[in-house]
Amino acid sequence: MPQYQELPCGGLVLDIDTALKDGILGGAPELGDAAAGDGGKQPVELRKMMDELDAAGEGGGDEAVPAVFICPISLEPMVDPVTLCTGQTYESANISRWLALGHRTCPTTMQELWDVTPIPNTTLRQLIGAWFFRRYTRFKKRSADFHGRAAELVHGLRGTAVPKRQPLKGQSRVAALRELRSLATTHQSVTKAIAEAGGVALLTSLLGPFTSHAVGSEAVAILVSGVPLDADAKAALMQPAKVSLLVDMLNEGAVDTKINCVRLIRILMDEKGFRPETVASLSLLVGVMRLIRDKRHPDGVAAGLELLSSICAAHRPARCLIVSIGAVPQLVELLLELPMECVEPALDILDALAAVPEGRIALKDCSRTIPNAVRLLMRVSEACTHRALSMLWVVCRMAPEESAPAALDAGLGAKLLLVIQSGCGPELKQQASELLKLCTLNCTSTVFISKCKLTKTIQ
Amino acid sequence: MSVLTCVLDSMGSSCSRSDLLSESETTENAKSADIDRRILQETKAEQHIHKLLLLGAGESGKSTIFKQIKLLFQTGFDETELKSYISVIHANVYQTIKILYDGAKELSQVESDSSKYVISPDNQEIGEKLSEIDGRLVYPLLNKKLVHDVKKLWQDPAIQETFSRGSILQLPDCAEYFMENLDRLAEADYAPTKEDVLHARVRTNGVVQIQFSPVGESKRGGEVYRLYDVGGQRNERRKWIHLFEGVNAVIFCAAISEYDQMLFEDETKNRMMETKELFDWVLKQRCFEKTSFMLFLNKFDIFERKIQKVPLTVCEWFKDYKPIAPGKQEVEHAYEFVKKKFEELYFQSSKPDRVDRVFKIYRTTALDQKLVKKTFKLIDESMRRSREGT
Repeated sequence: MPQYQELPCGGLVLDIDTALKDGILGGAPELGDAAAGDGGKQPVELRKMMDELDAAGEGGGDEAVPAVFICPISLEPMVDPVTLCTGQTYESANISRWLALGHRTCPTTMQELWDVTPIPNTTLRQLIGAWFFRRYTRFKKRSADFHGRAAELVHGLRGTAVPKRQPLKGQSRVAALRELRSLATTHQSVTKAIAEAGGVALLTSLLGPFTSHAVGSEAVAILVSGVPLDADAKAALMQPAKVSLLVDMLNEGAVDTKINCVRLIRILMDEKGFRPETVASLSLLVGVMRLIRDKRHPDGVAAGLELLSSICAAHRPARCLIVSIGAVPQLVELLLELPMECVEPALDILDALAAVPEGRIALKDCSRTIPNAVRLLMRVSEACTHRALSMLWVVCRMAPEESAPAALDAGLGAKLLLVIQSGCGPELKQQASELLKLCTLNCTSTVFISKCKLTKTIQ
Repeated sequence: MSVLTCVLDSMGSSCSRSDLLSESETTENAKSADIDRRILQETKAEQHIHKLLLLGAGESGKSTIFKQIKLLFQTGFDETELKSYISVIHANVYQTIKILYDGAKELSQVESDSSKYVISPDNQEIGEKLSEIDGRLVYPLLNKKLVHDVKKLWQDPAIQETFSRGSILQLPDCAEYFMENLDRLAEADYAPTKEDVLHARVRTNGVVQIQFSPVGESKRGGEVYRLYDVGGQRNERRKWIHLFEGVNAVIFCAAISEYDQMLFEDETKNRMMETKELFDWVLKQRCFEKTSFMLFLNKFDIFERKIQKVPLTVCEWFKDYKPIAPGKQEVEHAYEFVKKKFEELYFQSSKPDRVDRVFKIYRTTALDQKLVKKTFKLIDESMRRSREGT
């Protein structure tokens, strides 16, 4: 940073030695051609640099523009400095306007001008150019240095920055988190830098019962962007208060926030010390179901189904809870509208729910179970067919008199014959034939044939 | 009004004195238009005001929250208001000591180890005198002599023993606080502090409201809230009905520390069960189909202390609670259990089409101003988000 010498009149000058050292006077190689460029082109380039730095918010801060570069009329850095006969320097456009208005005095000293010609101050212009160029290259280098920037942000948030400052609060905290998030999501390698700067502990500590939604959503987004989470971090995140916050954000946030919360919970569930009761929360399950039902966002649907499926697998009592919030009819209704890759997880969930008595009753009571399951046979994959068959088996076993005719009406017969004749595994065929037997118990052969719309050859 | 103008119109056309009538017609019309315009204006203004309704069983902390909001977002209590609480606070002192004295007498007759509850003779004298005071319509202000008496009685071991059984009496939660500050309360120039006012206990009759505008961090003002506070005891609930229309959010206060206490109105009914039933009833009201619900699990500070001594299982609703390690972990575990119970109740009582309304649970201690402020900031953010539709 240039050293300043205070003059009695209050003006500031650059110390010669520092100016030489910092290369302002054109000594250093980096200042090359752009600073000493063609006179006519320079003002345009200089203006471009100034505007870009301004836009990026780099004006001021530690390095303010030296006072000598500022035009006394507009208080802006000068692009085309001109000097009057009194020795004062102004921005060319501003002083021309002043003179055009008819004034014949120097604006700062109030002396009468004996000579109105402005003299271009090439020296000053070169100095200004060099200073801004140096600033500009440094700014550009910093923008390319994502790791450095990320570490800087983390330290700023923690309050451990090198010139010691208070940790950021309020709007500036949210802004810093947002920037950190965009860095982490666009450049994977940044996540390591974040972890090294102590970011994980910081983010975990930010999540708590009084965290605002803005802060919480950014923090969670950063945590799931690939920052390495060790066992301690995960243990800290599993605290009930933090999980409650995640559940609240899952219920209230925008879709990306919801998906991030789901992902984070999933990560926590994989950890060894995870207590399954943590996910046995009705609010969580309701939130996940809402995400699954939102057709506008297929990512959300997939993420939600994945989480729900893991919950079903991890914690038996959670299944009763899931049934109690009415998930079974909702999932069944969705089956035909889901994208192909989501059908299998959905059927997995229904299969797991069918393992509990309440789930079986819910499946039976839902009117769309049979038609949808029949439609799904042989449509997506062998695993799906297997699941769909189990579901039908469960329903038909529970109430054969009503389910069997309904199933046959839905075209079950033809589908089952298809399964039996297809290249599926032997157990699947076995299951299909048993189901066929169950359903046709009370059917005469003519009825059966008509129901199956069999052609003469197959008969 | 419009019917009247129609009648006047037709009158004008059939009567011969049409000139006179047409003049009164125009003034009537003008007046009617003016009233219509004012109604429209006021309706529009009302729509920008976000209405919050504080509900809950008796002594659940609603009025304390109300006072906190007043302190935080309005000009707080001025000197006159503070002084107006002196009589309330002194009344609380008399009520407390009488309850303890009567309680000790009863326990000494009823309990097997009655000797614990026998008050010493001179303290008994004091007790009788104070009971007589409590029986009057207007309480005298506390002076040094009375405070000396009260203190002496309070320090009697029998009374202390009764105090430890406070949950079976209808002892207000502010009892200990006021007893410990007796000297200060009796000073001649006593001016109640904010804390004193927050602790003061007076049963709310009817409905009170305040209008306030919280200035957030971003200084985005303009959000006007109106908070309504109602009486909590059973005999007051019918007064709430006509408030239910058009409320944006219901703040339901449930004091989780009262799982071992009985109702004021009905000493056979457990307070937590009463809260449970009330919450259930409120959730099922048709007028709340679209209303956001903020559940304040209040009196957490008392809950924290009580959990170490009294198990949750004394309350029927919590009888399937299994404690883990004693200490801080236990408190958290117990709190999560209670929270889950309320969640369960919410989802059971809400029909599937209502499950989409906003429902959030907050842990509060209404006496802690900082906590209430933070909680309200969260509520403000949450309501803003639901308004903006994100």
